[in-house]
Amino acid sequence: MENTQEKRRILIIDDEAGFTRMVKLNLEKAGPYEVREENRALHAVAAAREFKPDLILLDVIMPAMDGGDVAAKIKNDPHLRGTPIVFLTATVTVREAGKAGLNAGGDLFLAKPISVDALIEVIHKHARPPEPPAEKAGPA
Amino acid sequence: MNPASTTKKLRLLLIEDNTGDARLLREHLGDAAGTRFDLDVVGTLAAGLARLETESFDLVLLDMSLPDSAGLDTFKNVHNHSPEVPIIVMSGLDDEAVAVQTVHEGAQDYLVKADLDHRLLVRSIRYAIERKHTEEALARERDLFHTLMDNIPDRIYFKDADSRFFRINRAVAAQFQLGHPSEAVGRTDSDFFTAEHAENALADERWVIQQGKPLLGKIERETLPDGEVTWALTSKLPLKDKQGRIVGVFGVSRDITALKKAEAELQAERNLLRSLIDNLPDYIFIKDTACRYLLDNIAHRRLVGAGTPQEVEGKTAGDLFPPVVAEQLTRDDLAVMSTGHALLNKEELVTDGCGNRRWHVTTKVPLRDQEGHIVGLVGIGRDITERKNSEEQLQRTNIDLAQHRSELQHALDDLRLAHEQLKTAQDQLIQAEKMQSIGRLAAGVAHEVKNPLSVLRMGVDYFQRNLPATDPNVAPVLTDMSTAIDRANSIIMGLLDFSVPYALDSQNENLSAIVRQSLNLVRYAFNESETPIRLVAELNDDVPPIWADRNKMMQVFVNLLTNAIHAMPAGGALTVRTYARTLQPEEVNRDPGSRLARQFRAGDTVAVADVMDSGSGIPEEMLSRVFDPFFTTKPTGKGTGLGLAVTRKIVELHHGTIEVRNRKEGGVIVTTMFKV
Repeated sequence: MENTQEKRRILIIDDEAGFTRMVKLNLEKAGPYEVREENRALHAVAAAREFKPDLILLDVIMPAMDGGDVAAKIKNDPHLRGTPIVFLTATVTVREAGKAGLNAGGDLFLAKPISVDALIEVIHKHARPPEPPAEKAGPA
Repeated sequence: MNPASTTKKLRLLLIEDNTGDARLLREHLGDAAGTRFDLDVVGTLAAGLARLETESFDLVLLDMSLPDSAGLDTFKNVHNHSPEVPIIVMSGLDDEAVAVQTVHEGAQDYLVKADLDHRLLVRSIRYAIERKHTEEALARERDLFHTLMDNIPDRIYFKDADSRFFRINRAVAAQFQLGHPSEAVGRTDSDFFTAEHAENALADERWVIQQGKPLLGKIERETLPDGEVTWALTSKLPLKDKQGRIVGVFGVSRDITALKKAEAELQAERNLLRSLIDNLPDYIFIKDTACRYLLDNIAHRRLVGAGTPQEVEGKTAGDLFPPVVAEQLTRDDLAVMSTGHALLNKEELVTDGCGNRRWHVTTKVPLRDQEGHIVGLVGIGRDITERKNSEEQLQRTNIDLAQHRSELQHALDDLRLAHEQLKTAQDQLIQAEKMQSIGRLAAGVAHEVKNPLSVLRMGVDYFQRNLPATDPNVAPVLTDMSTAIDRANSIIMGLLDFSVPYALDSQNENLSAIVRQSLNLVRYAFNESETPIRLVAELNDDVPPIWADRNKMMQVFVNLLTNAIHAMPAGGALTVRTYARTLQPEEVNRDPGSRLARQFRAGDTVAVADVMDSGSGIPEEMLSRVFDPFFTTKPTGKGTGLGLAVTRKIVELHHGTIEVRNRKEGGVIVTTMFKV
C-alpha cells in the first residue's frame, strides 16, 4: 500500500452491495483510492461524518431514503458541506433528475452502468485534493 | 149605286120556255131609257145552268115552269148553282104563292108576268142587282166578323151597360169552358172569375162607360175559379149606339200567360244568373269597347273597393287601379277585342283597392252581339295569391329541404369523420396507455436491470484491467461480455427514451440545416459501409423555418439516415431532399382519418424532408407495423426495434407527420412533414 495520507477517500452509498464492492475493488486496484461502502442510506450521513470522504458516490434510488434526501443532509451538515457528490442513477435521465430537484447544486450525474475508466475520470476531476495530515488529525 | 147600272150594259139571262113571254119581256126591256140590257134567252133549266157555268151574268130572270123543272125546285137549282147571281122569279098568277116563297129562299124579287111593264121590270132588275150587291157586301162583312170572332185567339167580348155579356167570341167561350158563345149571353164576369177579379173588371168597365174613354193595354192577372192563374193584356172601350150614346163596353184581351211565364222564367233565369255572378267568389265584369265597366259582381267591387254597381259602371281600369296595373289591364282588354282571341288564365300581379299586392289569374273573352260584332268583353278572374304563396313556400321549402339535406349530409360526413377521429384517438389512447404501461414497466425494468448490469460492467472491467492473459481466450470472452453488457444497456436506454414523456426545447429552426447536421453525425456509417453508398442531397435552404427542438429533430434524422444506410448492405444511393409545398384539398381529404388530415388543413404550407434508399424495400404486409415498438427488420443485434417508434414520437410531438412507403423504383421513402 502507498501512503494512506495521499489516498483519495471515496464514500460510495448504494443499496446494491455487489456494485459497491465492484467499485471498491476496481478503484483501490486502479489507484490511490480508499473506498468505503455504505449500503444503508439511513447510515449514509453518519458514515460520511466518520469517514470524511473527498468525494461521495451516491445512488439516487434506494430503499428508506433516496439520494436526494441524503445529499440534502450532507450539504446541510457543517462538517460535510462542500464535499463533492456524484450521483449514480440507474433509471432517471438528466432531465428527470432535474425534475426531482437533484441538480440544484450543479451536481454531477453518472448513468449506470458505468465503466471503470469513466468513473476514475470523474473522480480525478472532482474529488477534493487530500487534506494535510495536521488538519486531518485536528478536532472536527 | 152600282156604277154598272149607268155605264155598262147589264147582261141578263132569261130562262123561259114560252117564246111569247120571252118576246114580250125583250120588248119591255127595249123601252128602257139610259140602261142597256143584253138579254140571252134559254128554254130549259139545263141550258140555263150550262150558260151560268161558262158565262158571267148580272142577273137571272127565271120562269119557274120549265120543261125540265118546275116550281120551287127550279129556283133552288139555279140559286144553289150560282148563289152570287141575283135571281128574279117570273111567275104566273097561278103560282104566285110559290114565288113569294122563293123570295124567302133568296130570290131578289118576283114578278107576275101578267102585271109586267117596262118601268116595273127595269126597276126590279136594278134593285135586285143593287140589293144583291149589298147583301153580298154585308155577308162578306159578317163573314169577316165571324171569322174574326171564331178564329182569333184574342178574347173579344161585348157587354151591355150593366156589364152583362151579350156577345163573346170563341176564345172567350173556350176560356169560360162554354160549348157555344151564346151561352154567355146575359152573364157577367162574376159567373166566370173570382169575385176579386170580377170586381176589378167591373170597376174598370164602369170607368170606361162613365168617362167614355178607352182603357188600353192593361195587364190583368186573372184567377179562374179552378185556381188557374192567367195573365191577359186587355183593352176596354166604350160601346156606342148609332146616336153616339154609350150603351155598353167591349174589349179585347189577349192571353199573355205564356209570355208572362216566359218573362218570369227569363227573370228567374236572369236572377239566377245575377245571383250566381254576384255570389261567385271569382271577379266577373263586362266591359264595352272603350274598356268601360258595364257590369261587375260583388267580388269584383270588393276588389276595387266599390260599394255599389254605380261606383264601377262607366269607369275604366285607370279609375280603379294604379297606373301601371291599369295600363297592362287595358292593353290586354284591347288585345282581346281587336284580335277576337280570348286571353286565357293570365297570371298577373295587381294592387287592389286597399293597396295590397295580389296575384290574379284572369280570363277575358270577347263579347259579341247577334251579328257577331265584338261589342266588349267578359272577364273572370280569381285571386291566387295564396296558391302562389304556397307555391313559393313549397319552392322555398324544397330548397330548404335540399339545403337541410346537404347540411345533414355534411353533418353526417362530419359525424363520420368525428367517428373516425374518435376511433383513431381511441386507438391512440389505447396505444398511449400501452406505451405508458410499457414506460412504467421499462422504468422499473431499467432500474432492476441496470444495477446488475452495473455490477457486471464493473466486474468485466476489473477482469479486463487486472487479469493476466494466461489463456488466449480470456480477452475475447471479456470483450464479448462487455459488448453484451453494452447491448443490454442500449436496449434499456431505448426503452427509457421511448417511454419517458418529452418536453421540447423548441425554437425556429431550418429543416435543411438540421438534416445537414444529422448527415454529419452519420458520416462514420458511410465510411464503415463495406460497399459504396452514394449520397444525393437536395437540401433547399429557402424552406421556411419550423418550430422545433433541434436535438430531438436530429435524433429523428440520424435514425432515418441510419436505417436507410442499413437498408443498403450491397450499396446504393441515399437521397435526402428538403422542400416546402402547399397541401391540396384532395390529399388532405382523401382519407379523413389519416394523420395528415389530423395535423394539417388544405392550403397549409409544410416543410418536407424525404429520406430515400435504393434497398430492397419493406414487404407491404410489414409496412403498417414499422412504427410498432420492438418491430425491426434488422438482424438481431443490429437494431433495438425502437428507432422508428421513437422517431415517430418525436415527429408527432412536433405536430408533424411521418410516412413510410416503398418506392416504385425500389427501396423505401420516408417522408416527414412539419408545419412552417
